[in-house]
Amino acid sequence: MNVGFDGILTLLTFFPLVGVVIILLLKPFDREDDELIKKIAVGTSVATFIISLFVLGSYNPGTANLQLVDRAVWIDVLNIHYFLAVDGLSILMVLLTTFISMLAIAGSWTAIGEQVKQYYVFMLLLEAGMLGVFLAQDLFLFYIFWEFTLVPMYFLIGIWGGKERVYASIKFFLYTMAGSLLMLLAILYMGLTNDTFSVPDLIAGRAAFADVQTWLFLGFAIAFAIKVPLFPFHSWLPDAHTQAPTAGSIILAGVLLKMGTYGFMRFNLPLFPEASDLFAPLIATLAIIGIIYGAIVSFAQRDVKRLVAYSSVSHLGFVMLGIFSLTEAGLQGAILQGVNHGLSTGALFYLVGVLYEQRHTREMSEYGGVWKVMPIFSALTLIITLSSMGLPGLNGFVGEFTILLGSMGAYEALGPNPWIYTAFATTGVILAAVYLLWMYQRVFMGPLDNPANQTLEDVNTGQLAIILSFLLFIVWIGIYPAPFFELMNDTVDFWIDYVHTAVAMVP
Amino acid sequence: MTEYAFAPLLLLFPLIGVLFNALFGRRFVQPALYEGEDQEEPVAHDHATEVHVDVYEVKTEAGEGVDVDHEEVDVHVHDADAHGALDQQHGEIHNDPTGERWSGWFASLMSLSAFGVAVALFFSLMGHDFHGAVVPLFDWFRIPAADFHVPWAMQIDTLSVTMMLVVTGVGSLIHIYSIGYMHGDPNFSRFFTYLNLFLFFMLILISANNYLMLFVGWEGVGLCSFLLIGFWFDRVDDDGVPMNANAARKAFVANRVGDFAMILAMILLFWTFHTLNFNPIFDEAIHLFEEGQAVSLFGMQFSIATVLAAVTTLFLIGAAGKSAQIPLYVWLPDAMAGPTPVSALIHAATMVTSGIYLIVRSNVLFEIVRVAAEAGDVFPAPTLVAYTGAITALFAGLIAFTRFDIKKVLAYSTVSQLGFMVAAAGMGIYVAAMFHLITHAFFKALLFLGAGSVIHGVEHGHHSLHDHLQHDDLEPEEHGFDPQDMRVMGGLRHQMPVTFWVYLIGALALSGIFPLAGFWSKDEILAHAYNPDYGFFPVYIILTLAAIGTAFYMGRQVKMVFFGEPRHPAAEEAHESPSIMTIPLIILAVLAVVAGAINIPYIPFLQEVPDHPHGFNLLLEQWLEHSIPSFHLSAEGLLNMPYKPPVFSIFVGALSLLLALGAFFLAYSVIYGKRPTEQHEEDPIREVPVFGPIISAFGVLPLDTLYMRYLIPGFNRFADWAAYRLDWAFWHDFVHDNLIRDFFVGFSRFASDVLDDRGVDGALVEGSARFTRAVAGVLRLTQTGYVRNYALGLFLGVVVLLAYFLLVAG
Amino acid sequence: MAEVTIEWYIALSTVLFTIGALGVLMRRNAIIIFMSIELMLNAANLAFVAFARHLGDELLGGQIFVFFVMTVAAAEVAVGLALIVAIFRSKQSINIDEVNVLKG
Repeated sequence: MNVGFDGILTLLTFFPLVGVVIILLLKPFDREDDELIKKIAVGTSVATFIISLFVLGSYNPGTANLQLVDRAVWIDVLNIHYFLAVDGLSILMVLLTTFISMLAIAGSWTAIGEQVKQYYVFMLLLEAGMLGVFLAQDLFLFYIFWEFTLVPMYFLIGIWGGKERVYASIKFFLYTMAGSLLMLLAILYMGLTNDTFSVPDLIAGRAAFADVQTWLFLGFAIAFAIKVPLFPFHSWLPDAHTQAPTAGSIILAGVLLKMGTYGFMRFNLPLFPEASDLFAPLIATLAIIGIIYGAIVSFAQRDVKRLVAYSSVSHLGFVMLGIFSLTEAGLQGAILQGVNHGLSTGALFYLVGVLYEQRHTREMSEYGGVWKVMPIFSALTLIITLSSMGLPGLNGFVGEFTILLGSMGAYEALGPNPWIYTAFATTGVILAAVYLLWMYQRVFMGPLDNPANQTLEDVNTGQLAIILSFLLFIVWIGIYPAPFFELMNDTVDFWIDYVHTAVAMVP
Repeated sequence: MTEYAFAPLLLLFPLIGVLFNALFGRRFVQPALYEGEDQEEPVAHDHATEVHVDVYEVKTEAGEGVDVDHEEVDVHVHDADAHGALDQQHGEIHNDPTGERWSGWFASLMSLSAFGVAVALFFSLMGHDFHGAVVPLFDWFRIPAADFHVPWAMQIDTLSVTMMLVVTGVGSLIHIYSIGYMHGDPNFSRFFTYLNLFLFFMLILISANNYLMLFVGWEGVGLCSFLLIGFWFDRVDDDGVPMNANAARKAFVANRVGDFAMILAMILLFWTFHTLNFNPIFDEAIHLFEEGQAVSLFGMQFSIATVLAAVTTLFLIGAAGKSAQIPLYVWLPDAMAGPTPVSALIHAATMVTSGIYLIVRSNVLFEIVRVAAEAGDVFPAPTLVAYTGAITALFAGLIAFTRFDIKKVLAYSTVSQLGFMVAAAGMGIYVAAMFHLITHAFFKALLFLGAGSVIHGVEHGHHSLHDHLQHDDLEPEEHGFDPQDMRVMGGLRHQMPVTFWVYLIGALALSGIFPLAGFWSKDEILAHAYNPDYGFFPVYIILTLAAIGTAFYMGRQVKMVFFGEPRHPAAEEAHESPSIMTIPLIILAVLAVVAGAINIPYIPFLQEVPDHPHGFNLLLEQWLEHSIPSFHLSAEGLLNMPYKPPVFSIFVGALSLLLALGAFFLAYSVIYGKRPTEQHEEDPIREVPVFGPIISAFGVLPLDTLYMRYLIPGFNRFADWAAYRLDWAFWHDFVHDNLIRDFFVGFSRFASDVLDDRGVDGALVEGSARFTRAVAGVLRLTQTGYVRNYALGLFLGVVVLLAYFLLVAG
Repeated sequence: MAEVTIEWYIALSTVLFTIGALGVLMRRNAIIIFMSIELMLNAANLAFVAFARHLGDELLGGQIFVFFVMTVAAAEVAVGLALIVAIFRSKQSINIDEVNVLKG
């Protein structure tokens, strides 16, 4: 077990780099043909998505083991391995990454006019980095991918961003980097005490660091909490989201934030189960504060992109609550809600981008009555807004309800009155309607009184195709989520049992 | 099972209608939009935009002269004038009439097909001894690890089929009526898309076999309500406030408050029963209750009644949101901003009754709590339901007294009648609640559609005035014209005879006049409350007062709208609506007359009361008892509630009939008969001693004012504070930018300018350089450049070394 | 008759070396200094040979060393004279007191 070299995950992770190489080699033959670069980038991302579908095809949902293992010794002295594998915790994240990256890359076709070559190179590098994060099973390798994703994102925000892009990009970089350093310390401690960095081996040798796991847990938790972002570590998010180019926001919301929640599931729960149990009430409380706080703060925003950014704080609060309910339903809901948030919020950012391309403003007071001139766009936006709001029958509800369900069953992790957590979290459902409908009304309803809006054009075919791709999954997960749950069911079951068994053994 | 295999068609037909109108409707209705190349699209949109801008200008002008009536807090948003104005002012209809017919009739056909399916299901049930079945469609949630399974499945039983018949039947009539009513609206096809979508979600709601699927419909109809209230989303009132969009949002948010409770209730149910399907929950609940077993929840043991008391209380909150009960009724009057057919379909006949449906569906849970509460074990949630309904019925009725907007009166009346149903459900007479639900659907839909017909007529009368007279002649009066204000009407019985007669039937049915439908359904509720065996006498008093109020405000309305002399030229010019609108009205009027027959109680002295079956009496009860499990429980005495079939109470019936007639007459001739109320005039009832001030006090909408004046602005300010002070100024700017960044920058500046520049660089680096230079300055003196000196040094060195080796080392 | 012992050779070598050393230190003419250096080298050579004989070195190490010294001296002369010629060309003088460009 956990040996061998299947190869498909390596191919998947590094395939975007093929596109990077081709784009970089272009110049000698072809002087800055933007159109060609875009085609190569889109082609690469589509091919990566197709490879990820093959991964899905080879994936066996009936086991909690790591699968499709690619493992080889990398740095012998420290017993560091090149170790990629997939299981129920990561398979959906991998698919989400390839899917969102594909749409983000395709969606920036018209939005990026300058330094096209660098832009697509960074996008593809980012995709490779994110895939590595979700697939790496060796902590050292994981850390490298984890930090690597910062670099392209830093440049994407810093070069193609809005007015305050430099401030935002530096803040994004420093904030996340600072958190990661504590994680690096924790990684080194565990790796050196156990003489291995591979996650399965560390879990097996957990006893060696069990007595300091509280500190190790915190080291990991702070890095991940900043990425999520868990209240109160969210301050970088509105800046980064508002200033990032559309595709950057899509990827940031769609995938990068999920790296934080994924980290909690992949490392904190299995490596430090007792500490997870200990911290569960605290993190669940922060998550709920985030749900309510994010929603209230969203409501008062005037900038539509910032509103969506704060709504992420609220939505990710649900995901965190699901994880730290330490129940099967909660964790499954959390994983699926991660996907849902990626789809809904990614799509919302895309839609904002479509408007921004025409009007070059994100102030909601500049809009109003847009439905009259963009009926198709408005109807599609409504559906996506409703999905973000958690309307049953669309994807958001499936995730939120499963999480809330899990949280009320979480008497083991959250104490004898888990319903208090559930009740407070559920107010987020009301507040989501409040701020999202208010946003929708200010942009799309009311009189069309701003002359600048009267010449807005409805979506074109390309934009429609991208929005419909998002919608396909939004509706699919909404009415038939069973196959999605099936992909992770056994893995989640195994790890939740594992955590509860470990906690039960504590005297 | 297979006999109901066609049931999914019920959902499929409306869905096809939605897709048809959503994808192609616009092309049918406005072919001009799509005639040319795609590039022409924005031009066409511009045209539509310009038309609407015109409408606002008319409105804004109209607003200037109005002295705003302070008592009338809610601002009128007139619905019928926009398209009418379009027709008249531009002298052309932008919609293709054939396309309109396609769009509207296709939607209506889908609705009628669904009705056909419902009828087929009705006969299938009859053919199978009323034995219902669950028709599974496909899995929805399936999480084996959490033992969480929820299917998409349809519950076909007598209760759901009853609702299906009402919803699709009344729905179809309203679809057809809307073809006439919405004629000429630029968004004709969008309207029918929404109507079909509503039908789809409503059918999901009532055909669900589990709470979660019911919740899908529950939220879905809320969404459609949002869309339809906001159908004319670009309208603004005199102050530039987008009233329709606000009303839509208010409705959705108020519903969401109820949904909050629904979600919690469902999760509690799941952790108690590990399923959300109706039948297993009910069976298990009865089993647990009878055995007195505890349930394990949150790692502790609870009695089943305790859990169910919490669940049913939460259901009450959910129902209060959807069915507009205190304290969440405030959205329904505002919802009148939607087109009138919508008010009839969603906000009177169907959607708002889903709270009652929920309670009736969950009757087992409520009955268990009732029994346990009688023993004093748990919170008496069903009693709270009964009183909530009764008090809502009375209060909403009182608010309706002073409204002048024809639709607002009906809206408050709806809230009031929903209160009757909720009270009935709370008292445990689920059949009576359903009975009143059905009859109310008929006569309230009739009243709303009739009101729509009146508004339509007055509106067209108003526009024909424009054509006949010089604009200037009308100028002074023109400013305040509101086609929904009953004070501009009067005498319409001559101009609109069909509408008058059907409206009168509806009003009498609503007032509970024998032998119309409302009499029977309302009386069944009152009779039960009156019966001292059940301990709901206060409810009887409250509901009787509410019933008097109902008759009073309906008498007032009929008088003001149809009798007397026309009080405005527009009313003189009003014409009867087209037959596509009046035929549905006539059908509904017939139903409002005869629907009482479906559940006629036993008449004392004339009939013996047998145990079972009941023959032609209590048809609805015999039909519904197959899907109301607590009914069986009661009959067998399992829940300690001896079952007695409803018997007509002559005292109650006669009293309420007398009171209703008296109130109707009082309004008709005594208070509103003296002198017609002119526009902008106070209501004469306010001058009645003692009673007038009470009514006036209710005129200010206590809860609505509380929410809109205090709660909402408070929330807004809090959100602003949280977003701009707490999160931005404090957390983002102060903590991160000032404390962390500026501290870091300050420190790094100190490090760079002081520590590094003067310390490391100044003292160490440059200091060593200075020291070297100083030493070198001295040392350079030894370098004379003369070879001789160097040679001497060499020799001296040799001498020293020699001396060292010889004297020291040696 | 007193035998010519090693002391005589050492004394002669010392005298020659002292003359050479004083010449290097006191004379200003570069050529003379050069000759004085040669004198010192030859004083050393004399000492080598004398000690070699006195110690009975059968491998003739002292004598061989003298050959090395003479070789080095020859090379030194070649380089040294070339330098002196170069200095003379630029300064028109071989007075070393005039050559002090390395002064600190």
